[in-house]
Amino acid sequence: MMTYIVFILSIVFVMSFVGFATKPSPIYGGLVLIISGGIGCAIVLNFGGSFLGLMVFLIYLGGMLVVFGYTTAMATEQYPEVWVSNKAVLAAFITGLLSELLTACYVLKDDEVEVVLKFNGMGDWVIYDTGDSGFFSEEAMGIAALYSYGTWLVVVTGWSLLIGVLVIMEVTRGN
Amino acid sequence: MKPPILIIIMATIMTGTMIVMLSSHWLLIWIGFEMNMLAIIPILMKKYNPRAMEASTKYFLTQATASMLLMMGVTINLLYSGQWVISKISNPIASIMMTTALTMKLGLSPFHFWVPEVTQGITLMSGMILLTWQKIAPMSILYQISPSINTNLLMLMALTSVLVGGWGGLNQTQLRKIMAYSSIAHMGWMAAIITYNPTMMVLNLTLYILMTLSTFMLFMLNSSTTTLSLSHMWNKFPLITSMILILMLSLGGLPPLSGFIPKWMIIQELTKNNMIIIPTLMAITALLNLYFYLRLTYSTALTMFPSTNNMKMKWQFEYTKKATLLPPLIITSTMLL
Repeated sequence: MMTYIVFILSIVFVMSFVGFATKPSPIYGGLVLIISGGIGCAIVLNFGGSFLGLMVFLIYLGGMLVVFGYTTAMATEQYPEVWVSNKAVLAAFITGLLSELLTACYVLKDDEVEVVLKFNGMGDWVIYDTGDSGFFSEEAMGIAALYSYGTWLVVVTGWSLLIGVLVIMEVTRGN
Repeated sequence: MKPPILIIIMATIMTGTMIVMLSSHWLLIWIGFEMNMLAIIPILMKKYNPRAMEASTKYFLTQATASMLLMMGVTINLLYSGQWVISKISNPIASIMMTTALTMKLGLSPFHFWVPEVTQGITLMSGMILLTWQKIAPMSILYQISPSINTNLLMLMALTSVLVGGWGGLNQTQLRKIMAYSSIAHMGWMAAIITYNPTMMVLNLTLYILMTLSTFMLFMLNSSTTTLSLSHMWNKFPLITSMILILMLSLGGLPPLSGFIPKWMIIQELTKNNMIIIPTLMAITALLNLYFYLRLTYSTALTMFPSTNNMKMKWQFEYTKKATLLPPLIITSTMLL
């Protein structure tokens, strides 16, 4: 089972995306986002990126999603919409789930799926061994490179985040 | 908006476009697009009325979707070529996705529906930035991937854009919507020539930006957003009415004004590549564009619109509005040929 764990996790990942893409009320969307964030973290972990997976949990779920949850809880209505409360949302949810299940069954049966791209076998998702990564994990080296060779990227992303805050403040000022 | 915030946001808009134009790594290009889009939202929402909010939301949604499509194209390109450099895109699916995403950002048909509505909901100055500066970044990326663009797709989009730009603008009296449809049609002309001779696209973009800047500045000088208020301009600024006359004719692509240069060059390049019907169709549908420009000049400069009698004699004040660089802009938009 551990060789197919990434495949299974990817399928559940897409299904949880379907869960919030069918637009129940934001509070329930945030709930599914927690699940999908956790599963995304698990997928990253299976490729050896332990630091980045835990970063997802810490910063994304523990920082941004918590703030989102608080603000949504302040702005939510008395009877928020769930997946089963509205026929349209329920229909979209079931359609999404069924399509993903069908795709998974195709992959399992034929060993090859070509929708837009060729997914051959489950080759990209199967982990046979951890691979020869030498003495240093590639992912930690990548993160280190971000702060040494990739200084410009850090500057750009930092500036974008600052601008994000300024823009939000401007937009919500409202006078 | 407080001046420091305005300066920072304007600087970010320019930085975003610069990052898009100067990067060779697809991730940075995507970051540049997102920075640009994020920073222009408060510019679009300068006035806090529901119309502006709706316009900014529509702009944000379409541009975010286009960025996502672009990212998907980039990822597919990464899957098949193993690298992030912007160069020849070998996989056709990635190329089609990127082209679709960039045409969504530009407002080419069939993704043109947001352009008139967004342009109408915002102030004239924001509309000017939207229709000129925001076109530079996607056009630069189209220029860079031009060898790998699927010609059939882009030519179809271009032809329908010229059609839509011409037809859609016919029933409009609001100046911002007229300029939006004019933008759609001009983008169509630019997209048609990218795969054959991208330099002509740059020429068309430059001249289009010059002409649109001049037009918007003339409108802003009079603070007019409808044809009706433009028609009262003969009393306040008679010089500007003649300027609008030649500017509109230049936008319509009439020789000997400089708006004719890109049309001539594009038709020449297309016929050099053995395409006869398409440039003919484009030239014919550009006449629709010319019609509503002519209608504007007619009501502004050539006739006296029906108005009440007390509007016919206005106090001739000195005008205090600053028209930055307006004379050189007008001259370059009309006299280059």
